[in-house]
Amino acid sequence: MFKLVTFRRFTAVLGGVVAAVLVAVVVFFVIYAWPAIRLNGWHFFTSNTWNTGNLYANPIERNGRMILPGAHYGILFLIAGTLLSTLIAVVLAVPIGAMAAVFLAECVPAQLRTAVSFFVELLAAIPSVVFGLWGYVVVIPFLGHHVYPWMTAHLGFLPFFSGAPGSGYGLLTAGLVLALMIVPLITATVRDALVSQYRGLRDAALALGATRFETLWTVQLPATRRVLVGSGILATGRALGETMAVLMISGNALNYLPRNIYSPISTMASFIVSQLDSALQDPTGLAVRSLGEVALALLLIAVVVNGAARLLLYYQDRTTGTTT
Amino acid sequence: MFPSRSDRSHRLRRAPLAALLAAALAVPLLWAAPTVNILETGSSLLYPLFNIWLPAYHRVHPNVRITTQSTGSGTGISQSTTGLAQIGASDAYMSPALERKYPGMLNIPLAISMQMVNYNLPGLNRRHLHLSGPVLAGIYSGHIVQWNDAAIRRLNPGVQLPDHAIIPVHRTDGSGDTFIFTQYLSFSTPSWANSVAYGTTVSWPAVSGGLGAEGNPGMVTAVHDNPYSIAYIGTSYENAIRRNGLGIAALKNRAGKFVLPTARTAKAAASKMVPKTPKNERISLIFAPGADSYPIINYEYAIVNRRQPSAQTAAALRDFFNWAISPTGGNAPRFINRVHFVPLPPPVVRLSRAQIAQIQ
Repeated sequence: MFKLVTFRRFTAVLGGVVAAVLVAVVVFFVIYAWPAIRLNGWHFFTSNTWNTGNLYANPIERNGRMILPGAHYGILFLIAGTLLSTLIAVVLAVPIGAMAAVFLAECVPAQLRTAVSFFVELLAAIPSVVFGLWGYVVVIPFLGHHVYPWMTAHLGFLPFFSGAPGSGYGLLTAGLVLALMIVPLITATVRDALVSQYRGLRDAALALGATRFETLWTVQLPATRRVLVGSGILATGRALGETMAVLMISGNALNYLPRNIYSPISTMASFIVSQLDSALQDPTGLAVRSLGEVALALLLIAVVVNGAARLLLYYQDRTTGTTT
Repeated sequence: MFPSRSDRSHRLRRAPLAALLAAALAVPLLWAAPTVNILETGSSLLYPLFNIWLPAYHRVHPNVRITTQSTGSGTGISQSTTGLAQIGASDAYMSPALERKYPGMLNIPLAISMQMVNYNLPGLNRRHLHLSGPVLAGIYSGHIVQWNDAAIRRLNPGVQLPDHAIIPVHRTDGSGDTFIFTQYLSFSTPSWANSVAYGTTVSWPAVSGGLGAEGNPGMVTAVHDNPYSIAYIGTSYENAIRRNGLGIAALKNRAGKFVLPTARTAKAAASKMVPKTPKNERISLIFAPGADSYPIINYEYAIVNRRQPSAQTAAALRDFFNWAISPTGGNAPRFINRVHFVPLPPPVVRLSRAQIAQIQ
């Protein structure tokens, strides 16, 4: 009895630490970025100019704080780059990942299943910088010289697919490489869900005369809906926060919104890395605090996306009445 | 007489024993001269020079281990001020405000370098296009977007310029190359000075299709991979530029002449600026007067703290710097010429030695 109580307290402390760390990180960033938040105001989210100001001029005073002349921080182009590249990645990866999971769970011979699944899980374990390097060396020249010019010529009638095909660095490349990175996450999770599903469900559908496809489409996949959405959330989180791979292939656009799907972009996470050294040279410290505000905004976006997905699930459950 | 079999085997058995003994004696000898570890980080323009300096220096000073890293001048300045690196390499001197914030930092020139403006124009890379500060400012601010723009055609009569959009490439990391390039634009183009100005990072105007690249090697790759692009790249990458068959522009200097980056034009520019160099050696050499002067040359700085954590480190740093700037040491032609730099003129060597003596 005593032991059980000790164990319970022990786990409570550990669980509390995890939650406390999250709260502490948020609180720290709010306090640290506060001067930047007050100076930047709402313009931070609506304007397209990230300018540390003239580093070699003398700081001037504004609203009681020393800043560099010309300093102005706006990250609309970063928010757009982050959300658009993630959107492309998730839209591509969810169907591909789910179909791959079906293939692994239903179509691969049992003796091969372990081996193939192992490869998929291995793909999920590849460090993102490896994807970035591969994208840089292989994907960009191929897309930039062959695929994108072809796409502008043949798909130019679609909005955002026309205009300059660019050089291979940009939004679509970032989306494609991100999609490749998150497909194995989705596949591994959904496959596990399909395999561990109650077999009776499937057998019942087949016994009622449904074809294999109908069984899959109307019974098996809907039953894994929660897992599918859950893995989608996980994948979205990874795509939003991906740093190194995107840094290497996005073209690091500064201060403008993408004009078409081939345009160079920057994402919030990669921007923090690429600008930290420059920001450290701002003697007023405002540049680093503004990067802190970018981090805070990224955290906020992750929370909002996560919350929205959960709300979606909640309302779907209420309307369909399922309680899985 | 042949040694008997037992004799031979005896000697063979003894050989490893002797080696072991020798090793046992050598280990305390190595320990007796403690190794000083020095980290250099920063400028990717200075990196190729450090790369050929260090093996030569290490042969003569085996107890000093200097590690070099090519990051960017921004990293060089920030990591040397915070003490993470002992030597911060930078193409830019520290800003006046940073200087006040970290009064203990020295800015010591180690050599003079140049910057090229490079381009990738299929069929035209062997011609040295004529470009000027105002035209480059127009390209980087998005006012000049086509290669066959009237402003570029005027500078290059008789050259068939392609009807293609220009891809301007700039550095994304904090960079001394950005500093000297934007200084050239600022000093030659008032509208650039009043809008973007200069710095190791500037807020690049939004140019459709413009690219960002990391470090000088990233710039070379970006220009090579993107036909119709233009970039500013340190002269220590001239070999890479030639290997890749890219173009080198002749730039308009203050006297209105178009000059190529060569040792002669760099020396001409340096000779005008050396007498103006102050004691703390923080001065821009950009856009020097003189008909032969190449407009983008600069001192390559080591950013070093006056106060070192130990007398040993300070002594090692002083020794290394004195060797590096000496015309018979690191500034010898066999090092400097390989990276297309220019050795420090004697008056500057004297100023640098006075600064080096302050490292304690």
